[in-house]
Amino acid sequence: MMQWAQELLKKVEATRSVRLEQPAPVLDSVQEGALLKQYHPDYLGHERKLAVGPNAGEEKFPLELAELLEGDSSLEPDTTPKVDIETDVLILGGGGAGATAALTLAESGLSVHLATKLRLGDSNTVMAEGGIQSALAENDSARRHFADALVGGHGENDPELLRILCEQGPESIRWLSQLGCLFEQNEDGRFRLRAGGGTSVPRVLACRDYTGLEIMRVLKDAVRLTSTHILEEHVAVELLDDGAGQVTGAILFDRIAGKRICVSARAVILATGGSGQIRLQGFPTSNHVGATGDGLVLAYRQGCRLIHLDSYQYHPSGACYPEALAGQLVTEAIRSIGAQVVNAEGVHFINEMAYRDVLAGAIIKEIAEGRGVKTPHGKTGVWLDTPMIDLKNGAGTLARQFPGLIHRFERYAIDPTKTPILIYPTLHYQNGGIRVDTQCRTDRVGLWACGEVTGGLHGKNRLMGNSLLDITVFGRRAAESVLGNLPERGASTLTNLERFRSEREKVEGLAQTRSPQFFPEASGMKLESCAVEEAPKEEAASQSFEPPNPFNF
Amino acid sequence: MAEKKVEIRISGKTIQAQAGETLIHAIWSAGMPESIKTGCAGGVCGACTVTLRYSDGRKGGTELACMKPVEAGMEVFPCPVDAEAPVEPVMEPDVRSLQAAFPTLNRCTKCGSCSTACPMSIPVMDSVLRMQKGEFSEVAEDFTTCIHCGLCRFVCEDKVKPHNMGLWVRRSLGMSRDLSIPHGENENTEKEWQYLMHTDRELRLQNARQFRQTGKVES
Ligand SMILES: Cc1cc2nc3c(=O)[nH]c(=O)nc-3n(C[C@H](O)[C@H](O)[C@H](O)COP(=O)(O)OP(=O)(O)OC[C@H]3O[C@@H](n4cnc5c(N)ncnc54)[C@H](O)[C@@H]3O)c2cc1C
Ligand code: SF4
Ligand code: SF4
Ligand code: FES
Repeated sequence: MMQWAQELLKKVEATRSVRLEQPAPVLDSVQEGALLKQYHPDYLGHERKLAVGPNAGEEKFPLELAELLEGDSSLEPDTTPKVDIETDVLILGGGGAGATAALTLAESGLSVHLATKLRLGDSNTVMAEGGIQSALAENDSARRHFADALVGGHGENDPELLRILCEQGPESIRWLSQLGCLFEQNEDGRFRLRAGGGTSVPRVLACRDYTGLEIMRVLKDAVRLTSTHILEEHVAVELLDDGAGQVTGAILFDRIAGKRICVSARAVILATGGSGQIRLQGFPTSNHVGATGDGLVLAYRQGCRLIHLDSYQYHPSGACYPEALAGQLVTEAIRSIGAQVVNAEGVHFINEMAYRDVLAGAIIKEIAEGRGVKTPHGKTGVWLDTPMIDLKNGAGTLARQFPGLIHRFERYAIDPTKTPILIYPTLHYQNGGIRVDTQCRTDRVGLWACGEVTGGLHGKNRLMGNSLLDITVFGRRAAESVLGNLPERGASTLTNLERFRSEREKVEGLAQTRSPQFFPEASGMKLESCAVEEAPKEEAASQSFEPPNPFNF
Repeated sequence: MAEKKVEIRISGKTIQAQAGETLIHAIWSAGMPESIKTGCAGGVCGACTVTLRYSDGRKGGTELACMKPVEAGMEVFPCPVDAEAPVEPVMEPDVRSLQAAFPTLNRCTKCGSCSTACPMSIPVMDSVLRMQKGEFSEVAEDFTTCIHCGLCRFVCEDKVKPHNMGLWVRRSLGMSRDLSIPHGENENTEKEWQYLMHTDRELRLQNARQFRQTGKVES
């Protein structure tokens, strides 16, 4: 195992005793700024202004995203929506934010449909490892939580949204717990709190390194027990409007039946999550297969403004070896209990609890300056010295607190309790998104948005644990706002799309891209032509094979 | 390092895969993405369940295609498992209420298939036996890492539903917990918010920098 790295590993081992005692460099804010400008992917100029839509000519967007936002719909120009389903509320996206909104609406007496691209819960939420923030410690407060997140977001956070997030923290933990989430407790029955990057006091609750899994499986179970109509493998391909600007439903593509359906709704809640799978600058990603930024594209065509999308989070610790795990997340919580970041020479080059963007920049700099470790697959990374955890906290700590990490690496004969792992920044979180007010309303009546698809809350850098809180607080808030502001049913037209299309026609030289992208390029998955009333496809080849029962061989 | 090719079969179709890649990536590259479900591609959503057979007579089994590296001669059968309708959890659960919620609890014949099938190495059968004895905190612990792929239920010939019971136990215990959650207000709350929500962006940031040092407004 890792034979190729034997010599390099010796250098890491050699400096451990020194590193146990000596603190690593901490940068001041001027040094941090300089580092970011020179090395962080957000600052390297891979961006441009948009030529169409509400943000046209203003701030810049990453090139890959810009192309999707300016892209054309996959609907034929003469499509006329014919309503198949009438509902009160249509939720798009079955991750944490969408499921939370559905649960909040469960007792309202309204009819609720939740449509999601993959299966319910196949999302970024289920992948979250490290934890969820909430000010529960004695020396903590919602104000201190706010201060940490604002400094982390470089002061760009929308203060009103951020205040709501922090004030609602404890109540959200209560809500999740009452649904049955088992966050870890200390002997005395109080929640166990860990530090996270940029938290000034321990504030992160967790369920081992499976916190998102715990939240998502509970939400999923709870939603299935409500009267919510769940439409799995239903992809939102376009939003509908009433001809006067109000959003009134969506066109979905049913991947199983291979046909389009049209849903008329009095309110639409967009909860389609992030966009790591568009792989900015070719970066690997930690995100699930459905994270292709669809919601951004759909809302933008309706005329909703987007904010802070020049800012993405590159998580400093993405796995970089073995190749099969490339891009997958190694949770930050591992750094908070003692795993150090170390270069090829065994030097602990920066304090690993620096903000994520700073740490990512610092890792890229080490590599650029030749102090990285090259894998046999031609990737380069730095060490995350995981054996330090047991050295600092006693044998068994790593295995006990991070079973997920061990489980993933042991398949490749790597034991992180004995061997450090190689990391490289991975495209992790869409900091910006659709602009919303404190009620989760977008610029269009009838359209609400919550979760990773929105922007403003986290400023230009999100702290660990704040987005699981985000989806809980704002998933509930979006639903409550819908309840208080439910519009009357409107006509189902594609007027906003037509307006966007005619705007496109006036611009020369636009790429012929169709968007949203829906699936990662590498997967080769496609939305079948999307024709109305298309005959059902032939069953996939796999269906003709009865899967053998593995225990009857 | 030269990338070696290996030959594997997916639902009877032979494809070439890169040594070291996972089954999902091999299936994607072979242009068969619709033959298998994927969600997270990171081993936590349970969408990509498959059954495996080896041509060299090694014992096959169940796996997650997104986590399993390809091996020469592997035969792969996508094996999606549908979700099961859940059962409402209860406060203060005990064996009786579990049995009422899942009447097949005692049908377990201790065949062990569920434990063998579990891609997360959960001791599923042992945990079913613990359920029968009402050892619920141990059961909750056992199912901490359960991704609800459904394989344990799929292979159980006696219609026991181990993972559904596992979640029911966890949720029921969770709901029954006595929580002390502080409200976090004090006499300075409003003053502190005024300081932190300063309308000037620069001052707001500066105040936040100060505040996070001590958790107090320092004048
Ligand atoms: C590996 C990883 C680890 C993380 N760890 C943490 C952590 O420790 N703490 C923390 O706070 N945050 C963490 N995060 C971030 C956090 O998990 C996410 O930001 C958050 O869960 C997003 O929730 P969401 O509901 O907005 O989006 P998601 O959970 O991604 O859900 C969006 C849903 O919408 C569906 N969808 C997308 N497009 C369409 C469409 N066109 N039509 C229909 N449905 C669609 C998706 O398939 C998905 O089901 C992590 C993220 C990842 C990827
Ligand atoms: S597969 Fe079913 S019968 Fe066999 S041990 Fe598991 S629960 Fe019991
Ligand atoms: S316990 Fe069952 S559902 Fe859970 S991971 Fe194991 S096999 Fe899958
Ligand atoms: S795709 Fe989620 S477990 Fe494999």
